[in-house]
Amino acid sequence: MPRLEPLLSTDEAGRAPTRRMTVIAQDPAVRRNNRIVMSTIEVPTEDLRLGPMGYRVQVADFDATQRLFHGSHDLPASIEKEPKSWREGDPAIQRDFRFHAQNAYALVMKTLARFEFALGRRIPWSFRTHQLKVAPHGMADANAFYSPQVEGLVFGYFTGTSGERVFTCLSHDVVVHETTHALLDALRERYLDPSTPDQAAFHEGFSDVIALLSVFSQPELVEHLLVGDKRRQRGQEVFITRQELEESALQQSALFNLAEQMGSELEGVRGQPLRQSVRIAADAKLKDSDEFLEPHRRGELFVAAVMKGFVKAWSQYALSAGLKGQRRFPVRRVAQDGADIADLLVTMWIRAADYMPPVHLEFGDALSAALTADFEVRPDDSRYELRACMRNSFRAFGFEPTSDRRDGTGMWKEPPAGLKYDRVRFDSLKTDKDEVFRFIWDNRQVLNLQNGAYTLVLSVQPSTRIGTDGFVVRETVVQYYQVARLTPEELREVGIRLPRDYERALRARTPAAKSAKGAGRVTRDDEEDGDDHSEAAQSAQDVDPIEATRTPIYGGGVLIFNEFGRVKYFVENNVFAKRQNQRLAYLWKEGILQPSEKSSRLRATRLSTLHRLRALHVETLAAQRW
Amino acid sequence: MSKTGPISVEVRSYQVGFGDCFLLSFVYSATDRRHVLIDFGTTGLPGKGKPSEHMPKVATAIQEVVGEGRRLTAVVATHRHADHISGFATDARTGKSGEIIKGLRPMLVLQPWTEDPKAKPNARTATTVTGGDKGFVARLANINVIAERVKQLAESKPAWMSATARKELQFLGEDNLANKSAVNNLIAMGKAGKARFLRYGDATGLEARLPGVKVRVLGPPDLTQSDAIRKQRSKDKDQFWHFVKGVVPSVPAAGNDHGGANRGRLVPEEARWFRDRLLSITSQGLLEIVRQLDDQMNNTSLILLFEVGKKKLLFPGDAQFENWSYAMTAAPDRKEVANLIADVDFYKVGHHGSLNATPRQWVWQAFKKKKSRQLETMMSTMSGKHGKVSSKTEVPRRTLVTALESGSRLKNTQKLKAKMLENLTTIQL
Repeated sequence: MPRLEPLLSTDEAGRAPTRRMTVIAQDPAVRRNNRIVMSTIEVPTEDLRLGPMGYRVQVADFDATQRLFHGSHDLPASIEKEPKSWREGDPAIQRDFRFHAQNAYALVMKTLARFEFALGRRIPWSFRTHQLKVAPHGMADANAFYSPQVEGLVFGYFTGTSGERVFTCLSHDVVVHETTHALLDALRERYLDPSTPDQAAFHEGFSDVIALLSVFSQPELVEHLLVGDKRRQRGQEVFITRQELEESALQQSALFNLAEQMGSELEGVRGQPLRQSVRIAADAKLKDSDEFLEPHRRGELFVAAVMKGFVKAWSQYALSAGLKGQRRFPVRRVAQDGADIADLLVTMWIRAADYMPPVHLEFGDALSAALTADFEVRPDDSRYELRACMRNSFRAFGFEPTSDRRDGTGMWKEPPAGLKYDRVRFDSLKTDKDEVFRFIWDNRQVLNLQNGAYTLVLSVQPSTRIGTDGFVVRETVVQYYQVARLTPEELREVGIRLPRDYERALRARTPAAKSAKGAGRVTRDDEEDGDDHSEAAQSAQDVDPIEATRTPIYGGGVLIFNEFGRVKYFVENNVFAKRQNQRLAYLWKEGILQPSEKSSRLRATRLSTLHRLRALHVETLAAQRW
Repeated sequence: MSKTGPISVEVRSYQVGFGDCFLLSFVYSATDRRHVLIDFGTTGLPGKGKPSEHMPKVATAIQEVVGEGRRLTAVVATHRHADHISGFATDARTGKSGEIIKGLRPMLVLQPWTEDPKAKPNARTATTVTGGDKGFVARLANINVIAERVKQLAESKPAWMSATARKELQFLGEDNLANKSAVNNLIAMGKAGKARFLRYGDATGLEARLPGVKVRVLGPPDLTQSDAIRKQRSKDKDQFWHFVKGVVPSVPAAGNDHGGANRGRLVPEEARWFRDRLLSITSQGLLEIVRQLDDQMNNTSLILLFEVGKKKLLFPGDAQFENWSYAMTAAPDRKEVANLIADVDFYKVGHHGSLNATPRQWVWQAFKKKKSRQLETMMSTMSGKHGKVSSKTEVPRRTLVTALESGSRLKNTQKLKAKMLENLTTIQL
């Protein structure tokens, strides 16, 4: 149970940057002595309006299924004023909607703050407004999702097999998972686009990883997982044995125990990423199997690689930290080590997002990005050897870092030589898209920018982080994007071959093809299609046969500028690179890329659908569809 | 009674708009013709056609082919969807067309094992085989209940539901309704003749009545069979179907749903934009669920392969991936089945030409006779009822139609002229 005595005076508390709030440590199914295991987290201090509504998050407790507004909730002003039942984990809080609102608000804010801490800057949402909307009881549905269309998170509720209502907003990992979707969409707006099998899987895998590691970064919960109820005795130090600290034993006690204790009915919402990460034996061939080309299965490979790397690092550190021949280890310290390592990994993977290419992500890119991002702020990795653990764990699943640096670190390489800086202004370069575009334009040959593709600077974001030496690490992260829509002949000229059947189908299109108004763009799920059943309506529109034979291809890069305005890393996926061949072949096989009157318009992934397919384990093979 | 096999087979595909109605006539001699009716239903007719007027016409046409005083050898209802069985209803909505079919006194009524009226809600198989507790049959009944609510909701035209979503929800709702009248007539016809509820590999009882004809059931597997491919994840799926019970919003009271008006406390101004957006995506979620329900029902379809002389005729109902996957990947005799599929001469296009009911590799690419365009295909469909072009889910799927047109001799009810009632394909043996 959290401490109750005020740590600060009211005046001090108002000026402190963070405040404490009680949340459910994992979900209502994780109990100790028939009490829900609770946790205290710190969130940014702010004066909340009723809702609660703050500067980045607005809870609106509207139920779309019942068309019922549950009211604007007034949260306790401080942890000391929270009802006793909240702090004690009284099972009755499962029906207390005011607590639900606090749980959702606090976990969303905590996740946002966690990202901002790791990246050293504010993170605007992917949409234009400032506040992410959160519906803690948004609809009667065994689902929870982030939707750019509603600029928010929708948490469903449903009647479980026991007859009890299950509220997804009470599940720590589900709330963090959905918030991570929103944050990843804010950081990499093209990752919901259809692209590679890895990119399709990444949104889910990354959100799972951040959610699970966030759960593990709570020492109270880790301690509970390691020893449970039985061995806990008031006031006495509890120990676990050397054997229990071996990698396989920790996997079982920590990962599998948590998977077992998590509300099993929520598996219909979250899938089984944790269980699968223990169950899937590392095998480099899995990634090429049909089964693991399905996005929701492939995401599990990413989760398994990270979680197995986490347990490896934890086990080897906990064992090495003891004295020679030591047989018993204090569980509180082991739990704290595990929570610390989980926390470092959360930071590593969040920071990695800045170093990932803006389009066509593959897991090898993500790994190189994580290794580089971690090195930049935490060069000395001798304590936990996290980078080696990650590299080895991914290798066991057949994923190598994309970067083939000679030193074998897997980090991104130095930028190309010969970049010109003499025409740009250093100060503007930190914030101004046009200034950055000028830099890119001036250096288009060195940066391998392609003629024939349209270039757009997506974002310029200065970041400030504190290095392990206590000094500030300043960076500016720039993303740019390239798009070209070319005919098969034009593509061939730049070395891209379309899948043979696709090209044949493309050429078979009659001149009655309709204008490609909007062709080549990716639609988001907020753009509802009109009723397009009418063939007549289509043929009535203007036609452009050449437009209809064009296929969109995308590329782009990330430039990381150091504090002196010099590029220190350049990560690109060239718009005309050979990878495009594989990508187009995959999209064609999946039925995502197909010739039509609207040219090759690609639809952005709808996360609510992805979650449902994941929950249902819908197994269809693309090769069997039309 | 003829002891040798038939000399030809005639396949008639009747105009039922969005639905299926196929009559197989096995011709043994000028006077000995035996008929099997596979499905009889519609959920939408071309033009302004009304089921109450049109379906009796089709039933009468079937009656004429069968002949005065003659009996139907068998009725096959591949699955419970309205577009496959609504014509069997004896009530006014389809003009009592089911009475006409009943009058043809089918000797056999064949349905999938899930339709066994004696099956308990937790049956894993038809009552002829002992079983366990997965709740599959109950799940199908649950689908009917949800469909009823969805249909009512769509018809109430809530302000937050887009016209496109409403149209699809209404269609899927209607197609998944319980169809009590049709179901009861099928039961009654089964009692009068003989009813069989079939799973993969079962004998149909048709051979004794159709000399020289062998009929294989290639789907659906029952749960004792398909457990082999269901893996441990089936639990989640069963739970999911349990959880969807409450997803359908209640029908708004008249005049109480303008712009997403709400019950409970007054929504503050700053939350109204979000409320409206949230309401607008409710139908997306509902559609996703109802589509999955629809697929579940399609996957209970009987898949029948008729071997007549050296010719093979394939009738897969609306079976999709999950149903096919047992026959193609897990059944003990799957290699033999694959060889039979490769040798098919006639194919009834699955699920009105949808994107995932003619498995491209397992079925279409396997057909050997399309190379010399000896393959005969028939499709009963109607554009504009199901799916969307922009999401590449339109029915019939255009890429499939193109393949059918170039690789087979396709007869499509959609191309029937206004007053024509049927397509006919004759297969000489």
